[in-house]
Amino acid sequence: MYVIASAQRKDLLRIREESPELWRQVRRYNQPVQLALAAAEDVIRFSRDPSQAAVISLAPCQPGSADLYRWGNVVTDGMATGTLGNLRMNPTQTLHAVDNLAMSAFAIAHANRSYCLGLGGAAGQAWCGLEAVTERADEEVLLMAGDQDAAEDGAPGLGVAVLFSNRARSYQPLGRVVRLLSITRNTNRAFKVQPHAANGLAALSAAIVECSGNHMTYVVPPEHTDGFSGVTIDLEIS
Amino acid sequence: MNDKRRVVITGMGALSALGATTRELWDGLLADRSGVRRVPRLVESGITVTTGGEVEAVSTNNVDRDYEIANRAIEDALAESKRDASECGFIWSTGLDTFQMGANGFVHRSAGLCFSNLSSRFNGPRRMVAAACASGTQAIGEAFRLIQNGRVEACVAGGSSVMLTPFYLIGFAGLQAVAVDNGDDPSLACRPFDKRRKGFALADGAGAVVLETLAGARQRGAAIFAEVIGFGMSQDAFDLNRPCDDGAGAELCMRRALEDAAINSEQIDAVNAHATATYSGDLAEATAIRNVFANRWKEVPVSGSKGAIGHAMAAAGVLEAIVAAQTCASGIVPPTVNLRNVDDGCELDHVIGEPRDVNAETVLSVSFGMGGQNAAIVLKRGHEKAQK
Repeated sequence: MYVIASAQRKDLLRIREESPELWRQVRRYNQPVQLALAAAEDVIRFSRDPSQAAVISLAPCQPGSADLYRWGNVVTDGMATGTLGNLRMNPTQTLHAVDNLAMSAFAIAHANRSYCLGLGGAAGQAWCGLEAVTERADEEVLLMAGDQDAAEDGAPGLGVAVLFSNRARSYQPLGRVVRLLSITRNTNRAFKVQPHAANGLAALSAAIVECSGNHMTYVVPPEHTDGFSGVTIDLEIS
Repeated sequence: MNDKRRVVITGMGALSALGATTRELWDGLLADRSGVRRVPRLVESGITVTTGGEVEAVSTNNVDRDYEIANRAIEDALAESKRDASECGFIWSTGLDTFQMGANGFVHRSAGLCFSNLSSRFNGPRRMVAAACASGTQAIGEAFRLIQNGRVEACVAGGSSVMLTPFYLIGFAGLQAVAVDNGDDPSLACRPFDKRRKGFALADGAGAVVLETLAGARQRGAAIFAEVIGFGMSQDAFDLNRPCDDGAGAELCMRRALEDAAINSEQIDAVNAHATATYSGDLAEATAIRNVFANRWKEVPVSGSKGAIGHAMAAAGVLEAIVAAQTCASGIVPPTVNLRNVDDGCELDHVIGEPRDVNAETVLSVSFGMGGQNAAIVLKRGHEKAQK
């Protein structure tokens, strides 16, 4: 598979001010989903057919979202005060708790009924997503992720999206052809991890842009792994 | 030449509202019995939804209940298969978040942390599937694909959920997806495809299967419950909270699973339906099944399990796949518990009231996720294949 385009989004205010149509589409979601979708929109314009791309989406690792966490507290208060029967939960929050909403929202926006794989919630799933990219026979695969640093209002968030194709094309930020050769794991190593759906992919994307040679071996930092296996990614850059 | 490897199920574990074993699940279904009941702690909490499918084998006071329920299903499946976890990959869904009731209110349990704890003794791949109600079926499908393509020799696949908390019950009531308590017999709360259906009953549960190559199973002399022969995924691309009226997304995943299995719908002997008992969900599913089976739709027995065990979300698909595997092994299609009067638009060859022995060998098992992710797998009787 070839890396075609990648994007990162951190700033909701910028989306709101610069992309009102996109904001209208994503405003109902929580921050991780908003940022993942915004990044996906940045890369999907390089797709030959967004309705046909396979979609792999990484759900956030943080406890749902700030909104969801707040709802947990509301319900806890309801239990303490005996007012649970009066509570009405925002349906979108329930959906955030059970569904990989970025994937669903992307599919709706692009009439995409293709293969989809929702991963996430646990540390290191980004590399499972990348492995899944290499296992697909689809012409194009979109890999996206959104997360935030903590389940609190105002916690920094990050959305990342990477578009892959089985046809060689230039990787947009680099102007060179980047081919994903292999992802290898060495097992049974215990690491202290920092569960985050998007940080690892962002670091990989940044490393690719920095690469000046024809081959790149990227050793995933331990904190971005699942804690049980080291991950090494080999790419050819031409 | 097709060099893909054949994949079989050699171990199963299930904790559901019908009991803590696959045997109790199967026997309960054959007896047309529902394990859904009124849950006293939910009544005490004052919320409007007080019925559900509770797993009694693990105490609700156990702070590690999410882990324990999952781990018991996994242990049972591994023991039956006589496989060790270190030999297997692990493709599992724990949902996205778990909110359990503690003594002082909610305890947020990170689903990701639960997954990490469960996965630590497996040697990989370790993938956490997050596809809402389709997760369990997709986990089996993804494990099937990894084994088929030679990535791994064996996998434990499945899912687990702890859903019977006010957080989810209030939330799903807001989505108008669950049956609100109105004084009826609680065991009748979930009535798939029935005129009187009013939504599903949420449930706790866990289901696990051990998948491995047919060659490996033969070499080990393992019992084979079923062979997985096809897997298909699709998205509705329609709405976050309801399926397209014509069931197009559901139909697409079924067709993809059949295509992957290299069979046509005439070779399917029975369908294990998603059958949530939501108004629009059942209509869309029935339409999709009729479309897939065309003029044969009146001849293919259809059965759903949620009337008996409720909707265990991430576990639902794998619990239903376990039922489908037992249908493959026995030829018997269990009844859809609580279905008595089929609603207009839900017409299918429903199995009602008592099990039907049709010598079913090949079963299509489907799951449709809230948000629009759809998964289907095709299972085939295992022992004949193993003896060839």
